[in-house]
Parts: sequence; structure tokens; C-alpha cells
Amino acid sequence: MEKIISYENLTKLVDGIIQSGHIAIGQDEKGINWKRLNDAKELKINYASVPSNLSYKEFLFTKTEPVFYFRNNKDNFNLIEPKPEINENSKIVFLGAKPCDSRSIEIMSKVFNWDYKDKFFNQRAVQSIVIGTACNYQDEFCFCTSVGLSPVSEKGSDIFLVPLDDKNFAVKIISEKGKEFIAPYLNLLADENISLDKIIVGIKAPEKKFDTAKVKEWVTNNFEHKIFDDAGATCLSCGQCAFACPVCHCFDIVDEECDYTCGRRMKNWDACQFGLFTLHGSGHNPRETHGKRYRQRVAHKFKYYHDKFDEILCTGCGRCSRGCPAGIDIACVVTNINTVANQA
Amino acid sequence: MCNNIYKPELMEVTEIIDETVDTKTFRLKLKDEEVAKNFSFKAGQFGEYGVFGEGESTFCIASSPTRSDYIECSFKHVGKVTTALRRLSVGDTIGFRGPYGNYFPVEEMKGKNVLFIAGGIGLAPVRCVIWNTLDLRDQFKDITIVYGARSVQDLVYKRELEEWKSMKDIKTVVTVDPGGETPDWKDEIGFVPAIVEKISPKSENTVAIVCGPPIMIKFTIPVLLKLGFSEDNIITTLENRMKCGLGKCGRCNVGNVYVCKDGPVFTYTQLKELPQEY
Repeated sequence: MEKIISYENLTKLVDGIIQSGHIAIGQDEKGINWKRLNDAKELKINYASVPSNLSYKEFLFTKTEPVFYFRNNKDNFNLIEPKPEINENSKIVFLGAKPCDSRSIEIMSKVFNWDYKDKFFNQRAVQSIVIGTACNYQDEFCFCTSVGLSPVSEKGSDIFLVPLDDKNFAVKIISEKGKEFIAPYLNLLADENISLDKIIVGIKAPEKKFDTAKVKEWVTNNFEHKIFDDAGATCLSCGQCAFACPVCHCFDIVDEECDYTCGRRMKNWDACQFGLFTLHGSGHNPRETHGKRYRQRVAHKFKYYHDKFDEILCTGCGRCSRGCPAGIDIACVVTNINTVANQA
Repeated sequence: MCNNIYKPELMEVTEIIDETVDTKTFRLKLKDEEVAKNFSFKAGQFGEYGVFGEGESTFCIASSPTRSDYIECSFKHVGKVTTALRRLSVGDTIGFRGPYGNYFPVEEMKGKNVLFIAGGIGLAPVRCVIWNTLDLRDQFKDITIVYGARSVQDLVYKRELEEWKSMKDIKTVVTVDPGGETPDWKDEIGFVPAIVEKISPKSENTVAIVCGPPIMIKFTIPVLLKLGFSEDNIITTLENRMKCGLGKCGRCNVGNVYVCKDGPVFTYTQLKELPQEY
């Protein structure tokens, strides 16, 4: 016996979420980005189409946000804490996160809580509820199975939906947080005699392209290999890969002044592929070439983050590659590394 | 929930010293007395110094932790923030976040000889340890300072160089690159590595602290190894561009090492393990 929910009741659930003052985040009409849903009718669960161009990262780690405001009244300096945009009692509910999205909070939490704790990220992470969905889509850019996930991975989801047909989903309650959250809406679920395990087994997974342990070992020992220069040669330094990535978290800190007496300090998305990212005041740049910057991208994802936090900084969603204007495909590069490593 | 790690403390500029045409030293005091009471740091740690409306820059704390009611930083004006800092006067307010990073093993250096080698503005982090050891002079054995700059005009902390030279219980050698001397220059002329080789300090029971431009470090380390210094006893600092100083913003790493948290102080043994990306 499994719990199921119809699409219609899922819409009612979203209605309930919005009515109770929570924030419902779903994909926009075109499946390009994620947005706050104002009406349950806007709900789209894109389990069988290409992942949105952008992940919902910006609702946790915002594109830009003030970390404080400053005011200077006649030598009397005041630093003012920003007010949270979202009421601290509201839940932020992500609706229809594929396994390659639902993992992102757990992965990013590591860096934002390493010793110093980033309250801006943490506050939103605590408030979030992830309603994940099994994924029935794959293309040549998908590689979730290579980074320890799969189209049916429940990791990171509080509630997990498995599409049964066009109108119904099986509902699995994964976490305590999920159980608590769904409690008021249990009347929207129905019992159905189905074998969920069989359905899950039937969902096709993309082929595993590379072995992360092997890649990590090779990157450690072949830091100067030309494979990185070759991979980065066509890079335009546009930063699309980092912005589209559900787990890239590098940021810049920049002041904005409204006049000479007040302003704010902002935390903005940044990207390791930008030439200015590591530029010293002296003019020296430790990562002055595209090759070095691409090496940083690969090494940060498959080695450094794993060294520090025991996590691969990648969910295999393929967004960086799908959107790259220069056609750089990270899975191809890393698969090449795996091939070279096997030959060594 | 918890503290805002990006919000600085306010500090007042209480003294400004012009070191060279383009380098200044600020003495800073925390404005909040409660914060000041609980503030402490160790030699080698750094901070984020910010001018509101312009941004933040990363410098080491150049003063000694033994003098705890203020901190000092020295900076060369090269960019937006340092240009804004340069325009400040005594009494102005800046933001400070820190202290961050690891520190020199001053405790472990006790009972040993210490050799300080610095070039240019690289004297700032070294000066912090120099005063730290001089303030606890009887806990260290021989202290030797070798400092060089491109020219006489580029020497920083000139008044303190004189003070160190006049101290009987330490040896201080100041040098300028060939061509950088003035007619009345009485100290050494030559590059730092050559001068170190010339005075050939003993390596036994000695810790060498080396900071300066990468080219100076590159040529000084072989000299020290030749003199018999062990790789563990050669200590230096790495500088990389930073924004957060907290191990999050993702730019200061050298391989899997975050300079802001795992550094900035590294032994030559550790440095050798790092990929050449700094």
C-alpha cells in the first residue's frame, strides 16, 4: 500500500501552502527559471523535461543581497542589519526538485558552515522544504549517476514524488521535516495498492560516465596536465556555468553607496572563470589563463571540495554544459580525465 | 540565529605614518570598548579592512600581539580600497573584520634563535613577529633581522630599522638592491639572498621567517637550505586575493588549501606540497 496524490490535489496542496503564508517556489512556465508561485495554477512539475536553465539556488544563496547597511551621521557610524525578506516562520517550499537539484542544500551547507557560519544561507536552508520528484528525462548532458545520484535519488528531499502517470504521483515522506510539513495536508493523499519499488526500478538512469575517485586521484597527481588548457581553450569567461550550477557558491563582496553618508555592502554571485576573480592588486594573477581557471573548476568540484567536506561539488544536472556558449561539456572533460587515468 | 560574519567592527584611525611615497601605516583602535576588551590576535593573522562605500582589502596585522590596545596595518595604494584608505585622516572610521587565519608558531620558537628575512612591504607581517619576540626578548636566543628593499626610498618602518640597529642584543642588517642606494647610504648593497649568504647565520636551533616578493623567497630558500636549515624551520606567508577571509568566497585557494583559513603562515615543507598556483 502506498500513498498517492493526484495532480489536482497537489495543486490544492500548493494552494494550502500559499494560503498559510508559506512561500511556494516552482518552475516558471517556460521551464527556464524558478519563481515564487502566486497562484497554485502556476504549478508545473517538469519531471519529464529538461532541467530548467537555472537551479533554485538563488532562493538559498541569493544572486545579490545586502549583508548590512551603513549610515554616517556626522562621524556617528551605524551599521544596520538587513531585515530578512522572508518571514522567519514561513517555509520556503521547493516544488518538483529533480534529484540533481534537491541535493544542493546539503552540499552547499558544508561550505557555509565550515567554522564560520553564514546566517543568510542557513536561515533559508532551515526554512526550506524540498518536495523532490523522480526524473524521467535524460539527454547527453545528464550524468547524475556518475556523481552518486540517480533519477530516483531521494537525497535532500523532505518529501519525494514518483510520477505514476500524467495525473498521479506516489508520495514518499523522507524526513522528519517533511512529515511535520505534510501533516495538515494528509487528507489530500490517498492509499493505493501499487508496487512502488517496481515503478522505481523501471525508471531509466543515464549511463555512468566516470568514476569520481579515479578522477580525483588523477587530478591530484596531474595538476599541470595539458588536458585543462585544452578544455579551457574555448572558454569565453562568461560565468554561465557557475550561475547555472545548483552548488557553485563563490561570491564577491562589493559596496554600493547611495550618497556619501549611506550605502550597503552586498554579497554577489561570482564565478571562478572570470579573469578578475583572483587578480592581485600587484597585477599578479595566480589563475591568469583559461586553462588554469578551468582546472580550478574541475578540481574544486571533484577534488578540493571532496578533500575538505567529503562531498562532490556537482550533482550531474548538466546545466553548465547545456548552457555553455562555447560548448564545453564538463562531463566530457572529466570522462576524458577518467580515460587518461585508466591508460596510465 | 547567529552573528553576521560579514559585519565588521568599527575602528578609529588614531595615527597615520607615511612609510614611503605610496605606503602608509595606520594605527587603529576598536571603537566599542566591550569588543576591544575581548579582542586578541596572534602574530601572523590578518584582517579585512574596509572603507564604507568602497569595499574591503586584506592586510596582515603589522603590530605585535604583545601591544594589545591597538592594531597597525601597512598598505600600499594600488586599488580602489587602498586609495580610499589613503585619503583618510586621523579620527576617521574604518571597518575591520578579523583576526583571521593561522599564525606563526611563536610559542614553539621560544628557546631558539630566530632569523627574520624580509623584502619590501613583506616586512609588515615579519615586524609583527619581530616586536613579539623583542617584547619577550629573554625567551629567545639570538635574533637576526635581514631586511631589504629595492631602494632607500622603498624601505618601510625606517624609524624602527634604526631602533633595531641600535639594539645591542640583536643583529640587524639592512640592504638595498644595487642601484637603489643614495650617496650617503652606509648599509649593505645587494639582493637579500646574497646578503643572507654573506652573513651566513647559523642554522642550528634556528627558525627562519621569510616574507617578501615571490622572487626573493624563491632565491632565499635555497640559500637557507644550503646553510643547513630544515624545511620545517623555514616559515613564510602566502598572499592571495581574498574577499570573505572566512573560507567561503572561493578565490584564495592554492589547490585544496584555503590561504585564509589554512594559512597565511606555511612552512617550506607545507609549501612544497602545494601545487604551483600562487
